[in-house]
Order: sequence, then structure tokens, then C-alpha cells
Amino acid sequence: MNSAGRPRKPFGLGTYVLMLLGVGLVGGVVGAARALLGDQPGQLGLALTVAAMTFGMAVGFAACIWWWRGIDEAAREAHKWAWWWGGSGGMAVGAILLVSLTAVGGDAVAAPAGLTAPELIVGGMWTILLFQLAGYGIAWAVWWLKHR
Amino acid sequence: MNNRLKVLRAERDWSQADLAERLGVSRQTVNALETGRYDPSLPLAFRIARVFAQPIEAIFIDTEQGPAA
Repeated sequence: MNSAGRPRKPFGLGTYVLMLLGVGLVGGVVGAARALLGDQPGQLGLALTVAAMTFGMAVGFAACIWWWRGIDEAAREAHKWAWWWGGSGGMAVGAILLVSLTAVGGDAVAAPAGLTAPELIVGGMWTILLFQLAGYGIAWAVWWLKHR
Repeated sequence: MNNRLKVLRAERDWSQADLAERLGVSRQTVNALETGRYDPSLPLAFRIARVFAQPIEAIFIDTEQGPAA
């Protein structure tokens, strides 16, 4: 808060959308760089992939910090609540689904699709993340509906 | 926790957006505060008290204790 005058207005939806677009753009550049440079043979390809992804993650994290500092305390509370309850709940649902799928017939799914073990690991990671994000989004909306 | 935010705001003929601007929060946050469904942090409670030039206990009512004697 600026003690000399009125406090700064918190970020709104427009800023959030702009930040998402900016981070998405950086993600696209990182993805393109990884696609172009990551197939270099040996350690070079690995190093370029790690460097590109680290850069992308760092930009995303910095954007999150900047945006977090610009929102007000109720908005922060909504996100914290949503991440804990929605993210954890979504992760639990995703984990149950994946473990059940693996137990019932993981080979039946993976073999015809020609998926390798690393691809399955990454696929599982993204699946859990998507479930977490879905739960997060639902919980965030529930928080604001409950506090109207 | 109950509060008198809506009354105090109405006395000054401020909209929720006006109060939000004075407090540096979103209009949605002011709405959540007024309905008593969101309790502010201590720094925000002090800011509210400053904006209305009243002590905190004159604005917020602790429902567990009842109104201050």
C-alpha cells in the first residue's frame, strides 16, 4: 500500500489473461527451441532441453510471483484454498484412475498404442497435473461462490 | 464475524467499487467482506478502520463474544 495516497488497485482479469498469454508465448518459444535443438545427439541435446525447460519454468515462476504480489488477500486466499483442496482432490481422483487403469489392464492400453515406459511416465505425470488443475479450477469457483 | 461495512459505506454514499478503490482490494473482496463470509486480515481491518475513521471494534462485531459492552 502506498501510504502517500490511495492504495494500488489489485490486478484484475485483464492482467491475468495478459500474463497467461505472455507465459504461453514464452512456453511456445521454449517448446519450439526444444523441438529444434533437443534432438541433437548425446549430452548436447539433453543439455539444451534442460536449459530450455529451466528457462521456461523460471519465466513462468517469475510471472506467478509478480502476479501474486498484485492481487488482494481474498484472491490469494481463494487460490490457496483451491490449490490445497481442489488440487489435492483432483490428484487423488487422478491417482485412483491411473492406478485402477494400471491394475485392470495397463498393458492392454499401452501395448496397442506403442507407448514406451518413459512415455507412460510422462503421460501419467501430465494426467495427474490435468486432474489437479481441474480440481483447482472447480475449487476456486466454489470458493468465490461461497463468499458472494 | 459480522460487520457494519455496508451501513458505513451507505452513509458515505460510496459504491462497492469506491470502497474497493480506497482499500486497494477488488470489488468482489468488498462484497465478500460485507456479507460477512470473508474475515479480513488484521492489516486490512486496520485499513478499513482508517478509511472510515473508526476503531476496529466499532466496525467488526465478534459474534462469539457478542457486541462490546
